[in-house]
Amino acid sequence: MLYWAWILFCFTLVGVAAALWARQIYVGLGVSGLRQPVMWAIYITNFVFWVGIAHSGTLISAILFLFRTKWRTAVYRAAETMTIFAVMTAGLCPLFHLGRVWNAYWLLPYPNERSLQPDFRSPLVWDAFAVSTYLTVSLLFWSMGLIPDLANVRDHAQGIRKKIFAVLALGWQGTDRQWRHYSIIYLLMAGLATPLVLSVHSVVSWDFAMAQLPGWHSTIFAPYFVAGAIFSGVAMVITLLVPMRKLLHLEELLTPWHFDNLAKVVLLTSLIVSYSYLFETFMTWYSADPIEQMTFHMRYFGPWGYLFWIMVLCNCIIPLFLFFPSVRVNLLQIWIISIFVNIGMWLERFVIIAGSLRVNFEPAQWGPYHPSITEIMITVGTFAWFLGLFSLFAKHAPIISMTEMKEGIMWLRKALKKGDSTKAA
Amino acid sequence: MSTIAVIASFGEEDQCAQAVHELRTAELGELQTFSPFPSHKIQHSFARPKSRARWATFTGGVTGVLTGLAITIGTSWEWNLNVGGKPVVSWPPFIVICFELMILLGGIFGLLGFFAFSGVPALEPAFGYSERFGSDLFGLVVRCDEPKASRIEAMLREAGAQEVSREIINQERVVADA
Repeated sequence: MLYWAWILFCFTLVGVAAALWARQIYVGLGVSGLRQPVMWAIYITNFVFWVGIAHSGTLISAILFLFRTKWRTAVYRAAETMTIFAVMTAGLCPLFHLGRVWNAYWLLPYPNERSLQPDFRSPLVWDAFAVSTYLTVSLLFWSMGLIPDLANVRDHAQGIRKKIFAVLALGWQGTDRQWRHYSIIYLLMAGLATPLVLSVHSVVSWDFAMAQLPGWHSTIFAPYFVAGAIFSGVAMVITLLVPMRKLLHLEELLTPWHFDNLAKVVLLTSLIVSYSYLFETFMTWYSADPIEQMTFHMRYFGPWGYLFWIMVLCNCIIPLFLFFPSVRVNLLQIWIISIFVNIGMWLERFVIIAGSLRVNFEPAQWGPYHPSITEIMITVGTFAWFLGLFSLFAKHAPIISMTEMKEGIMWLRKALKKGDSTKAA
Repeated sequence: MSTIAVIASFGEEDQCAQAVHELRTAELGELQTFSPFPSHKIQHSFARPKSRARWATFTGGVTGVLTGLAITIGTSWEWNLNVGGKPVVSWPPFIVICFELMILLGGIFGLLGFFAFSGVPALEPAFGYSERFGSDLFGLVVRCDEPKASRIEAMLREAGAQEVSREIINQERVVADA
């Protein structure tokens, strides 16, 4: 009952956001707070935030798969599912931002009556290609991994559920022929997804870095954004998994050992992000470019300076508690830290995007930005949409890979049989 | 002479892999296994060549790069716009498009290759499949001529099979033979 109330709550918020978006399409972008010079603000911040959230799913499912990391087994399906819903959410954000959303398809190459084509030199077109590819390949990778599990559910389900899962499982029976081709294609998909995950957030960062705007035009943006994406994404995995573990009674499958490893990834990426902030500051000083220096001075000490320092607190200071092993296995504490990281990483994108636009080359061009209720509610709607979809999947589909867990249990049993307690531990 | 299916279930993948190896070496029948997860040991015991499905991914990747080059270079030539004397075909930004299309088509072709080679979606259930083979047991089905069945059953039990059963596959021929 509580579960359906939560789902209803999420999709009510989505409905409110959809109504406000419909009004924005009808009336125009004037209902948002977007004014010259801040023409990219919350909508684009949400886009970068959600694309970033998506990254940890592919990191955990593909990159850790290639490294044969044992702890990924229990968490990768949830992380991968999070990726799919986060990219779906991210894909909506540029549409909110478009004044004439019905022309969104102009970004894609297609023959039209005026023989116009997109400009392939534009980072925005790269972004359309990168995000669509990311969504498609992540969806294929996720669906392929689900097939054996859906077959397992089919075998144990009854009635209409059995029929539904029989269709979804595509007649999978785990024959040697099926596994032989499955294994190689799954491995190759992981191999394709690995450079893809690194490329997508690099391409997103180039949306900014290719523009000659102080605060955006920087060569460190690609690795800086990729590290930030993994940082925020793994934090979101923790934010979702801690309550999910409790509500779905997955305590035996998701152990403190898994959270300890996730927390280590958060800590590592927090240090990389902190280093990036420092290095960006150093490069600004070293460049001796007065406009660049002025932009950063305003970022740290201007009217929005408090946002920057909250960001530093959330992204650089609070995650340092994860150096303590006792904190890493305390689920409540890492859950709280992960929420701070989510807030910090959202603010980071806002500070970079809107903060840099607010303070431009000429003081005469400077201007304020005040988010409107439409933007705020659409932002809330994106969170509700993401959480609603994730909750539906977690409740009704295999959120933990049964196939890989069985493989892990078999491996553990063999290790115990051989008396290799160190390996088993 | 009728064709028989000897169906065995194993608790351990090592036992199933060992049985596959021995039966394959003895050339006693056509083998098919069912397992709850991909077992490298069982795959290895079949000693089959590498999956040809991987070529589908390669073909998709190459097609993606060529498509990327075609649409970027093609449109640059079609709209031959001289911007400050810069080359019309400015290839560095096109790498991004080629790379993304390589991954996209590599992934799509790979999945199609998996469907084409693995027989998924399968409309008919495989003979001898049991729900437990998807859960915690490894299944081995040996199709053989009736006189070999007893020897196969003995080999399977020796390899550690938990259960061994026998089913007649082509009933019509059995009736005709009778």
